[in-house]
Amino acid sequence: MREEELIYKGIHGIPVILEPGNAARVDRSSWRLVRPVYNKDKCIMCKICYTYCPDSAITWTKEGPVINLTSCKGCMICVEECPTDAMSEEKEAS
Amino acid sequence: MQPIKSIKDIPELDLFTGGSSVCAGCGPSMGLKLALKVLGPKTVIINSAGCMTLLPLFPNTPLKVSWIHNAIENAATTAAGARHGLDALGFKDMNVVVYAGDGATYDIGFASLSSTAIKNERVIYICYNNQSYGNTGFQCTTATPYGSETKTTPRGKENPIGNTNIHKDMLKLMGVHRVYCATASLAYPVDFLNKLNKAKERNGFSYIELLGTCATGWNFDPRYTIKISRLAVRCGMWPLYEIDDRKLSLNKEFKQLKPVDEYLQLQGRYKQLPPDGVTKLQSLVNEHWAQLNEFNAKRYV
Ligand SMILES: Cc1ncc(C[n+]2csc(CCOP(=O)(O)OP(=O)(O)O)c2C)c(N)n1
Ligand code: SF4
Ligand code: SF4
Repeated sequence: MREEELIYKGIHGIPVILEPGNAARVDRSSWRLVRPVYNKDKCIMCKICYTYCPDSAITWTKEGPVINLTSCKGCMICVEECPTDAMSEEKEAS
Repeated sequence: MQPIKSIKDIPELDLFTGGSSVCAGCGPSMGLKLALKVLGPKTVIINSAGCMTLLPLFPNTPLKVSWIHNAIENAATTAAGARHGLDALGFKDMNVVVYAGDGATYDIGFASLSSTAIKNERVIYICYNNQSYGNTGFQCTTATPYGSETKTTPRGKENPIGNTNIHKDMLKLMGVHRVYCATASLAYPVDFLNKLNKAKERNGFSYIELLGTCATGWNFDPRYTIKISRLAVRCGMWPLYEIDDRKLSLNKEFKQLKPVDEYLQLQGRYKQLPPDGVTKLQSLVNEHWAQLNEFNAKRYV
């Protein structure tokens, strides 16, 4: 069976999602009016932005936070909670 | 298990991706994302119909753990069934976790919650309390605070207060079931996750209630989700405490609470609450806070 057929027609007629966490590929960038911008020089590596991002749009790496602008909905929690100005706000081009 | 000491100490376990269709800045979904960091991959979530039902929306899911979509009425008893089934199949190390709204918990599913708790089934019940029936457009539940405007308690000339009911003291109610109960806030993630770890190690039922700060329903800019969650604790609107074996412990003590007005000002749902409404709400908070302090480290229920 083709993958598409398996997903929609499913097994015994019950649709299946083959890949857990596949929502990560869904593009939510059109929800944003503003976007977070990261400035490494000001970052104290506290992990607050990574902890609080409700849409897991911030991953944690050895170099610090990395923003994924496909998942980011522009809620600005990371900008508001960052204890330094390492996360700042920028208007999206409309 | 060693308690988590700081935000940096929270496990870097990502079992919850982005891309779901819940609102920007959603507090309840943030709660689940955090919870999965300590629950781990061997977890099954039972969710009662509500806002979180939008997380796995066919053909996409942000979850990397099992999930059961359930009716509102009986998430707790479904969980008990899942527990018994998993135990019989030898999966004793799986965590069975309910993630349910306050409408499902305080109102529609209360009978099933109560019976599952009294039987002390090995289930972790997390109620994300957004103080409303959120998914159907913000109607009043028995968790909605006094003075809040909702779809079913509009503020008007005849009733300037909005919701005139005083919400249920759910923790006390769960406490009389003699199970582990605790409140939690998104602004204190270390406290929340340590409580979950405690619940995980229990050989019985535990009830954790997380304030599900909701920008859409409470009508505020989503950037303030954490700020408002923190203020709720600092103002005494959402004190952090546990009831274990009927004994109370306050987890965050303050010499002086901030005035509730500071919390109310930030939210559209309390806009135009008249001064006598604010005074009444403050007196309710003071009364609850005094009671918690009086019974701190003593038998409470
Ligand atoms: C018995 C029953 N009554 C009503 C509904 C309609 N309904 C679907 S979601 C929902 C709101 C649930 O509120 P809550 O449990 O607080 O979760 P929230 O939506 O706030 O996340 C309601 C009333 C239903 N599904 N089942
Ligand atoms: S703006 Fe919101 S969604 Fe985007 S990265 Fe920051 S916290 Fe995450
Ligand atoms: S919250 Fe700010 S300082 Fe902390 S890790 Fe994120 S960007 Fe860096």
